[in-house]
Formats: sequence, C-alpha cells, structure tokens
Amino acid sequence: MKNTANNKDYALLSYHHIPGVHNIDIFERAGGYETMKECFNKEPEAIKEEVKLSGLRGRGGAGFATGVKWGFFTKDRNAKKYLLCNADESEPGTFKDRYLVEKNPHILIEGMIISAWALATQKGYIYIRGEFYQQAMILERAIKEAYAKGYLGKNILGKGFDFDLYVHRGAGAYICGEETGMISSLEGKKGQPKLKPPFPAIKGYRGLPTMVNNVESLAAIPWIMRHGAAAYKQWGTEKSPGTKLFSISGDVNKPGVIEVPLSTSLKDIIEIHCGGMRNGNKLKAVIPGGSSAPIFNAEDSYIVKMDYEDVAAKGSMLGSGAIIVLDETRNMGDVLKWTLEFYHHESCGQCTPCREGTGWLESVFKRREKGQAHKSDIDLLDKTASSMRGQTICALADAAAMPTQGMIKVFREELETYVSASTKK
Amino acid sequence: MKSPEKSTEKTPTTNEPFAFSAANLETYKELLTRYDDVESALLPVLHLAQEQTGWLAENVITYISNLMSIPEIKIKEVISFYDMFYDVPVGRNIVQVCTNISCSMFGGREIYQGLLKHFDTGYLTPTRDGRISLQKMECLGACELAPCMRVNDDFVAITDLTSAIHKLEELP
Repeated sequence: MKNTANNKDYALLSYHHIPGVHNIDIFERAGGYETMKECFNKEPEAIKEEVKLSGLRGRGGAGFATGVKWGFFTKDRNAKKYLLCNADESEPGTFKDRYLVEKNPHILIEGMIISAWALATQKGYIYIRGEFYQQAMILERAIKEAYAKGYLGKNILGKGFDFDLYVHRGAGAYICGEETGMISSLEGKKGQPKLKPPFPAIKGYRGLPTMVNNVESLAAIPWIMRHGAAAYKQWGTEKSPGTKLFSISGDVNKPGVIEVPLSTSLKDIIEIHCGGMRNGNKLKAVIPGGSSAPIFNAEDSYIVKMDYEDVAAKGSMLGSGAIIVLDETRNMGDVLKWTLEFYHHESCGQCTPCREGTGWLESVFKRREKGQAHKSDIDLLDKTASSMRGQTICALADAAAMPTQGMIKVFREELETYVSASTKK
Repeated sequence: MKSPEKSTEKTPTTNEPFAFSAANLETYKELLTRYDDVESALLPVLHLAQEQTGWLAENVITYISNLMSIPEIKIKEVISFYDMFYDVPVGRNIVQVCTNISCSMFGGREIYQGLLKHFDTGYLTPTRDGRISLQKMECLGACELAPCMRVNDDFVAITDLTSAIHKLEELP
C-alpha cells in the first residue's frame, strides 16, 4: 500500500508541501483566501448549515459536532460575542496543531474569518500555549499580513463586517485547554474551569457568548466551504466524516503528524505511515487518543479503526488523535506512573475528588519507590479512580481515572508485579 | 517552588523599583487595545515584564498592580498557577526538559536528573554563573522530537544526556 500521508488532496495539510506558504502571497497564489472571499457572498446561515451537513466533529478531543455547537450560538448579529480558537494543545502526545500552524498559519486565519462571518463575532483570540512561542510569533506575523490585505479589521472587503483577531499566549497550564479554563485564563485569572451550564456559547468570555473551537476544526472550514459537505463526507464514516490529523510518537520509525481519512486502521498508521516499529520490536500497546485515553493491547491495536465510534466501541477514545506507540520493551507501570504524575501536577485544585484523588493515585508510585507498595495497591488505584469519575467541574479527574482503570483492565498482572517487586518484607 | 528568600543570586532585588522600558510601555499600551477590559491583558503583561527582567519579583508585581489597578494578591495567585511565570530568580537561560510519556520513554527523566547533577543545581535554581535554570516540565507538545527540551523560546531535539550538556554548554 502506498504511503498517502500528507497527501495534497486532503483538507488540512494540502498546502504543507509549498515552500514559504506561511507568507500570505504564496498562500494566496496557491488558492488561499479565495474561499473566504466567496463566503462573504454567502448567507451566514448557509455557511453554518454547510458545516453542520459536513458532520465535522470538534478536533480538540471531545468530538462534539462543530455545526451543532455553532447552532447553540445566538443569531443576533449585533450582540457582542467572541470567537476563541483553542490552540492550547497540551494533551500529552499531541502536537498536531503546532505542526499545522507553524507551516501554514493562514489556513487557520482563513477558517477563523469565515467562521466569524458565519457567527457574527466581532473579536477573536487564538489562545496558544505558552511553550509555543515561535508558533505564536508566526501567527502574529500572519495576522499582520491579513490586516494589511484588508481581511481583518473594520469593514472587511467593504462588506460592512468587522473582525479583529489577536494571539493570546498561555503560560504553561494543561487545564487551560479545557474551554472554560481557557476563558478564565483569557480573563486574566488562574485557568480554573467553570461549571457548565451555562455553556460558553451562551455565557463565556467576560460573560458574553463565546464560541470555542479547536485549531484543526477551524482550519477545516475553508476546505468544507470550498468543496462542500458532500465532498468532505467522501472520507471517513457516517458518524466520523472527513480527515483527521494524528500525532504519532513513541516506538515507531517515523514519528510525526499525518493527515488521513478517519477510520484509517491503526495498523496502517503504524506500519505504512510511520514506517513500522522501531528496531523491528514487537508492538505491546498503544495509547490511541492522548494520555487520557485508555490503552489498547497489541491485539486491539491491530484491529481498531481510527474513528470516533470504533475506538469507543473498543473501550477507549479518539481524543485529540495523539497516538503513543509502545513496544515490548516498555513497562506499563512506568507509563502509568508518568501519566499519573502529570495529572496530579496539572489538577487546578478546585474540586476535592480531583485535587486529592490525583494525589492518591500518584502516591502509590511514590510508596513503591520507598519499597512500601503492595499488590493490593492496584485495587486501591482502581477504587480511587472509580470514585473520581463524574464528580468534578471539568473532565480532568476523569482524564486521570480513565487511563488508570484502562491500564488495570489490560495489564493488571504487570502492574501488580511493578508495584510489589521492590516491596520491603 | 522555592521561596524568594532562599536564592538571592540575581538582581533586581526586591528593593529596586521596577518600571517598563519606554519600548515596553508602548507595547503595554498596544496590548491593552486588544482586550475589552484591563484584566484580560494580565497574562501578556506578565510575559512582557518577565521578558524585561527575567523573573517576577515583588517590585515587578507592585508596579504591575499599580499600572493595571489589579490587587497584588490576584497577580501573585496568577503567577503561582502557571509554570512559565517565575516568582524566584532564574538564570539567563531557561531550559525546560520534558518528562512526560513520550520523552520519558527516550530518557527524558534521566536527562533532567543528569543535567541537575552536571550543573550542580536544583529545580529552577540558577547555576552559580547565573547562566542556566533547569525546569522539569510536563508534555511540551513536541513529542516527535522525544526526548525534547525547550531552550528559551525554541524546541531542541536531543538524543541523550551528553548531547543535552553539549547544547547547553553553548549558551551565553
């Protein structure tokens, strides 16, 4: 089978082969911003309808239909409201949005302008994680170029429509990728999530309607509007239409970002797109959707199709499309330990089950280092994780509990050996 | 985090008054135009202050509090929440080492511990020459480079401790 990664015919990386496409003139020579201009002649409602028909699902992790989310937004075009692009990409294993915008910032800006026209948002922010400094600078420069062309600012292309767009840098906090945490952070506060409802589409940034969409979702809009929803649905399945970016890291020969139709098999992704397993080692397990996603053993990894429903049917989630491949040399105890240290560090501290629970989960591994952990601690992990689920303002507690319970389900024996091997008698 | 009293190797001390440079004051004014209220500009303003002074000492917090009419306690709360705002003195170069899953698979943790030992320092504590502060970080979003580090504003791919030390020895 041919390696079709980064295929020019796909929706998101279709400009990536063009040298210097971060420059607006080069981007436009390749057809960039044409769709935006056409969209200004379309009714906003028609754009929303097309996006809804495309079946595009939010690419940040939750997979909620973008068009449906847009449907919750006020139709009052004069009401003050915001468009917020989530470029906080912090889920361990995820680096797709970075790869997309560092080479092609304009595809995101074009998508945001079209979305702003459809949703009648007067201001937009790209909230980008603090670590992506160079990427923030690339976006700043691209926004400047778009202003100079009259694609941003007041009365865009004489259409009587105003849209200002700014880059806002985070400062190193995973939780700011959660949309209400992001809004708190944008408001100049600690990035602590807020209870939903009210949802941000109703009451978001500064208490005003705010549409929060992921980079990859917004960047798919120009292609969908240019080629139509039906063309977008040529890829993927009925419930998971379109193409998706996957970030692949770990024990493969060629880690990186690829764009493939949803429902591409994980086996093809590993063996064809990523050049197979590193050192010819045997596959042991795969984390299919970022560190929050329950792990697959080798058997499930080789049969799963990477779409929302098949990954869910096999007990995990597609998440942000961050695939971490683990070979036979890896110890699952290490992997769970690293995962749980992360969630404990990143809990924002608001909700007791999360603040304390993530600490308890991690403490088993701390005890292990002192030779004080026991086989029965795996049951404790399972019980603690179970009691954390669905008890908190945001999904971070669940994001720590799910991979814990998933790991216990698949690799219990290995974990029991891991924690008790050094136990002092 | 360590308390400011413990490390006193870097100026400005808390007694010196702080003010934005003329250029940064212009940037500050431009930043305010981007938002519909002053509070929303806090993160970018803290980034700007940190670019000027290296870390966010008491005098910097007092200045920003007066400038933006935001209570000092609120600013401190924000600084303590985010890993990339420093309320302790740091070296001229910030080196962040990823210790999350993909990077740990390729020795990220051993590299971090090895660097601490090599430079005889601890988390964020500046090296004796004031050149480097090391920071253990969660996923930096560059897993294809694993093991990866961030040196100031750039991602750097390394292969092992030796190559990491080699990279850092080049720093000014």
